[in-house]
Amino acid sequence: MIAQDHDTPGNLIFDYDQANTGHIQTDEDDIKDQFPKRDYLPLPDVSEMQVIRHYTRLSRKNYGIDTGIYPLGSCTMKYNPRVNEDMARLPGFAGIHPHAPLSHAQGALEVMWDLQEALKEITGMDAFSLQPAAGSQGELLGVMIAKRYFADMGERRTRIIIPDSAHGTNPATAATCRFQTVTVHSDERGNMDLDGFRNAIGDDVAVVMITNPNTLGFYEEHLQEITELSRKHGTLLYCDGANMNAMLGISKPAEQGFDMMHLNLHKTFSTPHGGGGPGGGALGVRSFLEEYLPVPRVVKRDSGPTFDLDYDYDKSIGRIHSFYGNFGIMLRALTYIKSWGSDIVNVSEAALLNANYLLGLIRDIFDVPYDRPCAHEFVVSTRRFGEKSALNMAKRMIDYGFHPPTIYFPLIVKEALMIEPTETESKETLDRLAGVLAAIAREAERDPSMLDGTPHTAATGRLDEVMAARHLDLRWRPPKE
Amino acid sequence: MNYIPHTDAHISKMLTTIDCRTVDDLVPEQVPRAARLNLGEPMSEMDVASYIESLAAKNIQTKCFAGGGSYDHYIPSAISHIVLRGEFLTAYTPYQAEASQGMLQALYEYQSYICLLTGMDVSNASLYDGASALAEAVLLAHSHTKRRGVFVDVGLNPAYLQVLRTYCEGADIFISDTINNDVACIIQQTPAFDGSIRDPTHMAEKAHRNGSLFISCISDPTSLAIMRPPGEAGADIVTGEGQSFGIPKSFGGPCLGFMAVKSTLTKKLPGRIVGATQDESGRRGFVLTLQAREQFIRRERATSNITTNQTLLALSATIYLALLGRTGLRSVAHTSYRRAHRLQQMLHTRGFRIMTPGPFYNEFLVETPRPVTDILEHLRQWDILGGVAVDDHRLLVCCTEKNTIPDVETYARGASMQ
Amino acid sequence: MHAAIYYLDTAPWSNSFLKKIFKFDLLVRRYTKDHEWVDTTDDGIIVGITEFAQDQLGDVVSVELPEVGISYRHNDAIAIIDSVKTSTDVYSPVDGRVTHVNESLLSQPELINKSPYQDGWIVKMMPESPAQLESLLTKDQYDESVGNTEK
Repeated sequence: MIAQDHDTPGNLIFDYDQANTGHIQTDEDDIKDQFPKRDYLPLPDVSEMQVIRHYTRLSRKNYGIDTGIYPLGSCTMKYNPRVNEDMARLPGFAGIHPHAPLSHAQGALEVMWDLQEALKEITGMDAFSLQPAAGSQGELLGVMIAKRYFADMGERRTRIIIPDSAHGTNPATAATCRFQTVTVHSDERGNMDLDGFRNAIGDDVAVVMITNPNTLGFYEEHLQEITELSRKHGTLLYCDGANMNAMLGISKPAEQGFDMMHLNLHKTFSTPHGGGGPGGGALGVRSFLEEYLPVPRVVKRDSGPTFDLDYDYDKSIGRIHSFYGNFGIMLRALTYIKSWGSDIVNVSEAALLNANYLLGLIRDIFDVPYDRPCAHEFVVSTRRFGEKSALNMAKRMIDYGFHPPTIYFPLIVKEALMIEPTETESKETLDRLAGVLAAIAREAERDPSMLDGTPHTAATGRLDEVMAARHLDLRWRPPKE
Repeated sequence: MNYIPHTDAHISKMLTTIDCRTVDDLVPEQVPRAARLNLGEPMSEMDVASYIESLAAKNIQTKCFAGGGSYDHYIPSAISHIVLRGEFLTAYTPYQAEASQGMLQALYEYQSYICLLTGMDVSNASLYDGASALAEAVLLAHSHTKRRGVFVDVGLNPAYLQVLRTYCEGADIFISDTINNDVACIIQQTPAFDGSIRDPTHMAEKAHRNGSLFISCISDPTSLAIMRPPGEAGADIVTGEGQSFGIPKSFGGPCLGFMAVKSTLTKKLPGRIVGATQDESGRRGFVLTLQAREQFIRRERATSNITTNQTLLALSATIYLALLGRTGLRSVAHTSYRRAHRLQQMLHTRGFRIMTPGPFYNEFLVETPRPVTDILEHLRQWDILGGVAVDDHRLLVCCTEKNTIPDVETYARGASMQ
Repeated sequence: MHAAIYYLDTAPWSNSFLKKIFKFDLLVRRYTKDHEWVDTTDDGIIVGITEFAQDQLGDVVSVELPEVGISYRHNDAIAIIDSVKTSTDVYSPVDGRVTHVNESLLSQPELINKSPYQDGWIVKMMPESPAQLESLLTKDQYDESVGNTEK
């Protein structure tokens, strides 16, 4: 039987300690230098075959895009082309030390330069930094730059406006930079409420952070007014680009009025999410903010080696990465963008089509809080099925072999399911997903308690998160400790 | 290449279902339309691969004697075979624990390994890189002590110091020249930027007497196989760069920031944390826990804004540590140590002044008898990356187990040629 | 000595004194719109969260308490209660100084769920101004506000 599990199912790697693993022993006590040494290294010795079996077994308890549709809203779980992986593993890239002489790293610098140029074209921004290692770090960099910009202007601004539909990172970022967050509510069409915005904006507002399309899956319809009002008060407009998959070739954030934005390379440009990273959070700015970008910056020279790293920017914010950012992710993103070329607009168009089609198939099963076409994702509410129904239905989906969508987000929709199918899923898959949601809804209607304790067919049953948080068990300990 | 599965027939059927003529109808008129993007012609997989390969061919890979935060340790083959499994590679943050048990268990094992190596109580499930992990530790210390100063002991990687300065400016924290009662934490790197091994005990005591936290920052964590763990020397927080654990140098990223703390600081840890629990029938399982610390719940009161971290690299590190075990990791550390000491001796007898005081691990700083650029240029002809130029006359040299004895001898000869 | 200070601190808070000044009995539990309850005793007030609030939060997994001796203004966050999926602030119902915290919540956060009005109390405070207590909600007013929230 193929699926037979020869090991004890619950084993940790630490349970396999073996005396003889085939490692070559070294002389233990040949270090004569005087420094505080370790008595004993409590790591298990495990044979290579056992390691491979252990982690292969674990991989089979995990769901990925390669397993099936992964409609996690706001995460853009599109297919990750394998050629990208091969490119990132080319020895000419993977083997380059960050302190290699730049004459030996011209190809790497060209990758960064080409990616910056492509991102400028896609967003309309004037300059990019590729240093941020993820979207949240891009955002942090953006707010740090805003803070420095206003300090340079001799202005003390203390507030940042954020709509109530925003990702939690936005207020967390504002707070990290010691700004006060002002929350503006959403209106009945799911836009940022314009009256609320008018009340909130003022000369002490440093930044307005907007996710476009927002987390309800809607393009902001009041951006023009918001931009005008922000300009009047000298406030910077920041675009959280988490949802850029809805705008490739359709609209450029700089032309919408944004002064700065980050992109999530791992979302929009198909780099694998790796179970939670690595990502890439490139930050783009308009020209008046360019001099604040972190150093070193990749530049193109007329003489000598074509590409160079330039540290010489007096106003630069400094640096936010040990080296130059997640280079391997940049490389995958560039490979993806080059594959598509100017046709990349097809990506967003298909993402929009898929989301609206799926919404059309399931809109009668659930409550739709805002009645308008969505962008690349949408939010429905399961509230008609009662409390905890979003959780229960999500867990039940696992029994049907589907990864659940994002649940209970955005916070402003009760019992929210936030669904992002992405452009790489076929019509047949969307039809099947809609069918499964309909089947689960029928189960919930018949007997809501049927969904309690689901999933039944996964690696474990419903896990007790309360127990996990109250009785912390965060690591293995050697028996003798 | 085209990664969209629809045929024209599908598209028109789908548009009919949603009662729409074109996709453009789905975009509100208020959204300004972009002109067609200028990104070149689409490429086939074969064409794009040959284009990217042509860029890779412009890089020149040599034998590596450079460290300074990125280390050329050997990467066992087995790692990429596991990491490339689609179930791991193409998953995301394990919000749905029951569909993510594989990665969650691997992260629990990662946290355990980091604790075992550092001698600390609790580890998170990774941060971006060594530099930002240190900056996050400072934010933690500030939030814990409510103090605004940071004292940095000499020997910190200058890039880390730059990152720290940037984060500090954003968070209204300042770098203090003295240890006074506004100092939230004292930072000491070991092995330091110049490779020297520090005994943290003294600084840790100083910090605690002052009511500050002590942060120990590790440069090459393979050193932890032989050094006394900082947790035993009084560290409150240990951070570092885990790239040495089976992660390619890849021009400096992605790498792996790690952070471990004493149990009193558990609830202040930034980033994801995995915990063990049970399902209804008492089977062990793993979940993301203590999530109320995190931005998506606590928003402006979160312990950090971090969201996506470096999970796949934490998995690489876990497999690396599993494959090497205590025997293998000690062997890596011993060999790296011995090769570096051998090279240092050889350079010393050839007129290089040793600038690293006291015991060192696998990196050392030398004052070069001739300009650093000359020496690096000579070594390049021998197919050797000779180290990190700290300035015109100082060179930071590093050895790992990959630098064979003949390579070490070639280095010494090449570096002393006029 | 200790007792004398105690007396001076609390004298204006004796219930008979309050009853004389205000036309109502502060020994009756009062509420805030943010779902705190407030009991008045001879040595200040006791603050916790209501049955409705604990139910909304779900299983509480940890509580962060303030330091004894710190003064807060009305509506300042004085404690944080975390459940698995949410985190909420407890707000100071009045201006005042924290005199005691319920340390048993640190090891048994579930007391807030099991016994929100008794063992699950959160802080004791010494208010600065009696007038602020007067503006707190009565049970009827609170119940009405909860009704509104649920709409």
